[in-house]
Amino acid sequence: MNRITRHFRGKGMKMQDLRSWLIMLPGLILMTFFVWEPLLESIRMSLYKTENVELVEFVGLKNFISVAGKTNFTQALVNTFSYTFWSLVIGFLLPIILAMLIGETSRGKGLFRTAAYLPNMLPGLAVIILWSAFFSGGKTGVLNIILSHFGVSAQTYLTKANLVIPIIITIATWKGAGATALIYMAGMAGVNSELYDAAAIDGANVWQRVRHVLVPAIKKLTWTMLILQIISVFQIMYEPMVLTKGGPDNASLSLMQLMWQYAFGGSMDYGKASAVAVIVTAILLVMTAVYSYFNRKESDWD
Amino acid sequence: MKKISFVFVLMMAVCMLFTACGGKNGDDTEAAQPTEAPQISEDLGNELDSFSDEVIDADLTCTITLGNWPPDTAAASELALFEGYKATMEKQYPNVTLVPDYYSYSLSNYVPMAKGGTAPSIFQPPFTDPQLLISQNLVGDVTDALKEIGVLDKFSPSYIEMLADDNGRIYGLPRDGYVLGMHINVALFREAGLVDENGLPIYPKSLQELAEYGQIIREKTDKAGLVFPASETYGGWLFTNIAWNFGCVGESALEYQDENGRWICNFTSPECIAAMEYMRDLRWKYDILNADTTTTDWAGAHSELGTGEAAMNFAADDSVDQPTSNKGLALEDFALIPFPEGPAGRYALAGGTCYMFSPDITADQGRALMAYLKILGKLPFLDDDIVAGMRSDYAAKKDRGAPVLPAISAWNDDEYNKTKRAIIDEYCNVDMRLYNDFFDSISEGTITLKAEEPVFAQQLYRELTAVIQRMITREGADVVKALTSAQESFQEYLDDEINN
Repeated sequence: MNRITRHFRGKGMKMQDLRSWLIMLPGLILMTFFVWEPLLESIRMSLYKTENVELVEFVGLKNFISVAGKTNFTQALVNTFSYTFWSLVIGFLLPIILAMLIGETSRGKGLFRTAAYLPNMLPGLAVIILWSAFFSGGKTGVLNIILSHFGVSAQTYLTKANLVIPIIITIATWKGAGATALIYMAGMAGVNSELYDAAAIDGANVWQRVRHVLVPAIKKLTWTMLILQIISVFQIMYEPMVLTKGGPDNASLSLMQLMWQYAFGGSMDYGKASAVAVIVTAILLVMTAVYSYFNRKESDWD
Repeated sequence: MKKISFVFVLMMAVCMLFTACGGKNGDDTEAAQPTEAPQISEDLGNELDSFSDEVIDADLTCTITLGNWPPDTAAASELALFEGYKATMEKQYPNVTLVPDYYSYSLSNYVPMAKGGTAPSIFQPPFTDPQLLISQNLVGDVTDALKEIGVLDKFSPSYIEMLADDNGRIYGLPRDGYVLGMHINVALFREAGLVDENGLPIYPKSLQELAEYGQIIREKTDKAGLVFPASETYGGWLFTNIAWNFGCVGESALEYQDENGRWICNFTSPECIAAMEYMRDLRWKYDILNADTTTTDWAGAHSELGTGEAAMNFAADDSVDQPTSNKGLALEDFALIPFPEGPAGRYALAGGTCYMFSPDITADQGRALMAYLKILGKLPFLDDDIVAGMRSDYAAKKDRGAPVLPAISAWNDDEYNKTKRAIIDEYCNVDMRLYNDFFDSISEGTITLKAEEPVFAQQLYRELTAVIQRMITREGADVVKALTSAQESFQEYLDDEINN
């Protein structure tokens, strides 16, 4: 053993390092096979003309040019940013508020915590089907039934281009906000209670305690959650696919759904589908890099 | 830490318990293993018993995987029927192993299976996909097996065109054909007063009447006159039929090849514009469409009609079980009528479902698959087993309350077609007066049958669906502008894919 240790020490690697690498090895193998290899393959495929999953001819950036030049791409790109915008408007602050409210609750905290998390335990498709019954047009839609008691005539919701994205984001928020709130609660639990006490002694009210103690304490976590939310919403697919099928008139078509259409929507064009996937990855990489840059800058200022 | 370990161990135990209890039947990708003998009618039981047990070929040795095996939740009669087919095949070909598979075809799930060598030996795609699958080498050639069994010359020529490559090699067999018409909820017609003295529906003969009758139904019953599934590609698919009836055929076709062989998209012809304006009027002038048109799909449309939320639905004779046995519409409240005539003629789509085979099937597997299809009664033979197969099929339909109707044959064989019709008449469970006009329009040639648009039909449907969605969600939408934009987009697609 000593000889091995000496050997690794001689090569600049400690026994502890070897153990760490061995622990990581299964994860690395899985990542290689299920993440990195498909990712690289997708990039390679985007540069080729394909015949089902086989590469036929190297075409350089032709797939990218062809995809980006189409109106449905522009629409999907705008829609995807619109999803992101609405997710920030509707779904960004809600989990923080939920976490604060549950955190401030003195009785039945567990009950509220469970209730908030419950929608996240439902299968995604079941949630969409549930809400599609709620927003269904005509007289059998749940929302229309409720509104009819207030004298409002039956409306359609999922056929209105300006409503579909906010509706889809509302549904996604309903499902996911509870889980995000739990993460915020964990973050808030780590805030030193003495800081609250000190602020209270100094005469700070609830709002001032939140603003001057809580917010700075969870700022880093909030930034992380923000970028995770953007990445997640940018890849939205099954919600519009099931609820509106990308309609009406592509008003809810997302980039990932466009990718699905290229691959499985009848044309089996995996090259173009990969091109869309690479574009989405590139946009997310740029956004993450911008986030990291500002995050680092802020850390330096701190 | 102890608590976490305890919870972890507990969760693992629960997961393992459920895994053990679930067994193989819980997994859709596993071979189907029906466990109990299903309850069936005496009629069907007799038909199943009448299959011959005589060994036909003991030397044929191979394994075939049978896609589209009915799920355990299917009607008992259907399960019994397939178990009967399997048992017969196993007796007649004792060394052929049959592996039932719940697999249900979709383009997206089939491609990786075919490439990975896990596709079932036989599966059932719609007639929209064979040419794509053939061009991509994703299906098996059965020409020799068909020749050997002697049915190659009985293929209807139009079906050969759909199921063969440029060299005339055959890759599939027609399962059944369909013709698009209209499903009618007779109960709503009755409520709206649209019935004659015999209680039969006074149905729309033309697209103009469709709009007017739809309006009457809306006024009298407060239900949708027409359910129109305008989501994904369905809207465009149905719209092509309307467009043909407005004159989008021949020189005004939605897509055609010019003298240089270049494919041209032609959405801005006066005929197509008129057809799209008609679509817009159905929503804004007559207001006869269902509420969530843009999210309604094929199944949703059948559901709306079957549950009495809509009075009419563009649908074919192969899906009459959807609103009836699946959604509970009584057989006496259901009718099938011909596709309404347009200002420029009377056309309807003819299509269907076919059997295709995995790309790696061997010659022996090809033989075994043909033998299996023969037992199913899907080949134009007339021996006792075939007749028993047909009888079982229609007895099962009758058992589950689906209309037993004359089938549109894909085979050019008079004797076979006559025998089949006689059996159908024997099991018929509906008032044929509610269907006669539909079938007469086909047999008498008063309606012209058309295949789907020739190239990249799915993409064409998607473009047209987007235009339809715009028309029915925005009152002031510009038809010409929307069609021009769709035309440019689809032309670009054609140029990319086929013209260059």
